[in-house]
Amino acid sequence: MSDLVAAAESMKKTERFTRANWVAELASRAGLLIAILAVIAYGSIANPAFFSTGNFVNVLTSMSIVGIVVVGMTFVLVVGGLADLSVPATIACGAILSLGLQPMIGPVPAFVVAIALAGVIGMLNGALVGYAGVNPIIATLGVGTVGLGIVQAAVGGVIVYGTNPASAELVKGRILGIPTVVIIFAVIALIGHFILSRSYWGRWTTATGGNYSAAQASAVPVRAVKAGAFVITGIAAGISGGLLGLTLQSARPLVGTGYEFSAITAVVVGGVSIMGGFGSVPRAIAGLIFVQLLTNVMVLEGVRTPVQGFVLGILIAGAVGMDAALRKRGGG
Amino acid sequence: MTEAHCALDMRGITKTFPGVKALSNVNFKVKFGTVHAVVGENGAGKSTLMKVLNGTYAPTSGTIHIADKEVRMRRPADAQALGIRMVHQEINLVPDLSVAENVFLGRMPGRMGYLHRSEMIARTTAILEELGAVVKPRERLGDLSISQQQLVEIAKAYAANPRIIVLDEPTSSLSDHETAALFRILRKMRDDGIAIIYISHRVKEVLQIADEVTVLRDGAMIETRPISGITSAEMIRLMVGRDVSNVFPKTPATVGEPVLKVENISDGVHFRDVSFEVRAGEILGLTGLVGAGRTEVAQTIFGLSKLVEGKVSLNGRTLSIATPADAVRAGIAYVPEDRKGDGIIPEMTIRENISLPILRKLSRIGRISGSADRALAGKYVKQFAISPPDGERRINLLSGGNQQKAVIAKWLAAKPSVLILDEPTRGVDVGAKAEIHNIIGRLVGEGMAVLMISSELPEVMGVCDRVVVMRDGRASAPLSREELSEEKIMTLATDEEAA
Repeated sequence: MSDLVAAAESMKKTERFTRANWVAELASRAGLLIAILAVIAYGSIANPAFFSTGNFVNVLTSMSIVGIVVVGMTFVLVVGGLADLSVPATIACGAILSLGLQPMIGPVPAFVVAIALAGVIGMLNGALVGYAGVNPIIATLGVGTVGLGIVQAAVGGVIVYGTNPASAELVKGRILGIPTVVIIFAVIALIGHFILSRSYWGRWTTATGGNYSAAQASAVPVRAVKAGAFVITGIAAGISGGLLGLTLQSARPLVGTGYEFSAITAVVVGGVSIMGGFGSVPRAIAGLIFVQLLTNVMVLEGVRTPVQGFVLGILIAGAVGMDAALRKRGGG
Repeated sequence: MTEAHCALDMRGITKTFPGVKALSNVNFKVKFGTVHAVVGENGAGKSTLMKVLNGTYAPTSGTIHIADKEVRMRRPADAQALGIRMVHQEINLVPDLSVAENVFLGRMPGRMGYLHRSEMIARTTAILEELGAVVKPRERLGDLSISQQQLVEIAKAYAANPRIIVLDEPTSSLSDHETAALFRILRKMRDDGIAIIYISHRVKEVLQIADEVTVLRDGAMIETRPISGITSAEMIRLMVGRDVSNVFPKTPATVGEPVLKVENISDGVHFRDVSFEVRAGEILGLTGLVGAGRTEVAQTIFGLSKLVEGKVSLNGRTLSIATPADAVRAGIAYVPEDRKGDGIIPEMTIRENISLPILRKLSRIGRISGSADRALAGKYVKQFAISPPDGERRINLLSGGNQQKAVIAKWLAAKPSVLILDEPTRGVDVGAKAEIHNIIGRLVGEGMAVLMISSELPEVMGVCDRVVVMRDGRASAPLSREELSEEKIMTLATDEEAA
């Protein structure tokens, strides 16, 4: 399986740095698609439980929460901001606040406040990375830890439970047969895609990641653009956390653990460059779909958890390694 | 070789890069126990020749003999093994290590991983004393002044017992006093029998220190002469001495009112007290040697570095510019020197590159108008004959000349009232060069004020209406077209008294 991924990846990346040939371009877009279809084909043959509406809805639902983070994380990678490691803390923030504030201000205001605070965390990250020039890994790790500490202290308890069943019903419910979270994810993905590919802010984001000093010399407000990517990720992680809290009806500080890794894996496997300047939301989501389906097949096939981690780890290291190698070769 | 004292003999060295002949049949011979200067304009081939000598480049043809034996060098380590040491213009040391550790970096005395610190210190002390340098071996390198660091660099080269030392513009960061100290050290090394190759622009210093001088021009060896047989005027003439034919047609334009005016500006580091004005319909040339502060002046006007003192005004209005965005709003555009580094976003298309500075104007409620974006690119691709004529091509797939045209287009789209061009034709082929000059000529004809930085004298003389020469961060009074001569510019650029 990973051979196929590697082949698809290499097709796509080679094209990117050599020729703007539409055949190669098509192959590059199709690469990940082929990999996804291959996983589906394998899953269908290997396990009867795989190819069923129920399973796909499950995959889609579990994908949606992390998918919202993926949309934000795409901006961070494209702008050349490496990664946002404050995501687990921001998700916890969103989950704890949206549940914990319910008795005081009601479910909707609680949700809004949670997202606003997540945005503030994003602004802190952005200020440190974009304006102060701190390494993104260190900045987001530090801000995340501090943010989580403050929320824990403010809420007091270790685990917070939901008190408003109506809001839980809404989030867990379906609209026209489609789970609400999936719809929310789709809307956010569309907005993210629009911003990155059609708005001047998105063009600025790609330009800043592609060549920071040239973008600066072209009157792009590079610092603000870089900071903005972290604000977007902060808000996305806040929404994600809020929905997670409402779905689970309980939130503990470690509720967001692992989401940063899942999001980064999806974005990188989708072919978004970790060095910035290249990538789109649909690509990242294709990466997410592939990883989620692969994980789903492994779970159904009874692959043990450590082995699953092993596969995903190789996938991310391989994708990043390929990006670096191709960038070096075709860089000039 | 017949001469017993020949340290280095490079014969018929030719080096070609795709599309460029950097060196053409260069013969270069250096004797042991002499200081041999290599002089020439920017781009004459001095650094290429030295890169061939230190194994960075393999010559396309020609042979190299060291101490009368033919050698082949594939990498810098081979050159080092043969006793060739380079002292680069930029300091190449580790600031957090001590002086002694730097001198012995990579060759520390010791056995099986155990470092003989005391031996290293003793040997460093001896070398520094021998060179007459007042630096302590235990000092942290980063705490030393630039000139002291340069001495450590030389001590490091000397400690390796070299046969040939190459110094590339060693005095560019030194004061007169420090230069004198450096010269004492060079004479000492020369008397030890080392062959010293001294690369410099500075004619006056070459006359002081060198025994022999070789002049390079346009990649060819022009002449080698003993220093006693040459005057500074002759040397400048040999360096320049090319026919200034009319390769650069000058389009006539009516010169109007001053547009950009800078008065006594300084950035506190690279230049001070620079004043000039650029008028509508005029190309003002800003020339001088590399490192004279020209680019820094342009970047300061454009808001890329900080203005410490002085005043910049545009159309009579004093500007306060903190970022490039401010400059663009005010009506200043800047085509940078380093096209790859500052000019283009390599993975974006021609279209995306061109519209970058004015994206907001092409957008409504945040959304870029696709048709306006494409129309803008299409207009300039056609107007500038960018090849291939397809705005959707990724810009890094274009030739240097076409990339440069796209970068100029990017700025014209912003409709500036003054255009600053920093080495606009560096690294582009002859055809594209003429096209770029035509574009500039047309702009000036339409009343644009252009400030053009260029190191290439024929270009400066052919294209510019007036020329300001910079030397060591100071600007000369502008020379009018009638006053222009290559000799005059070179003298202003190199000679301390004349400026």
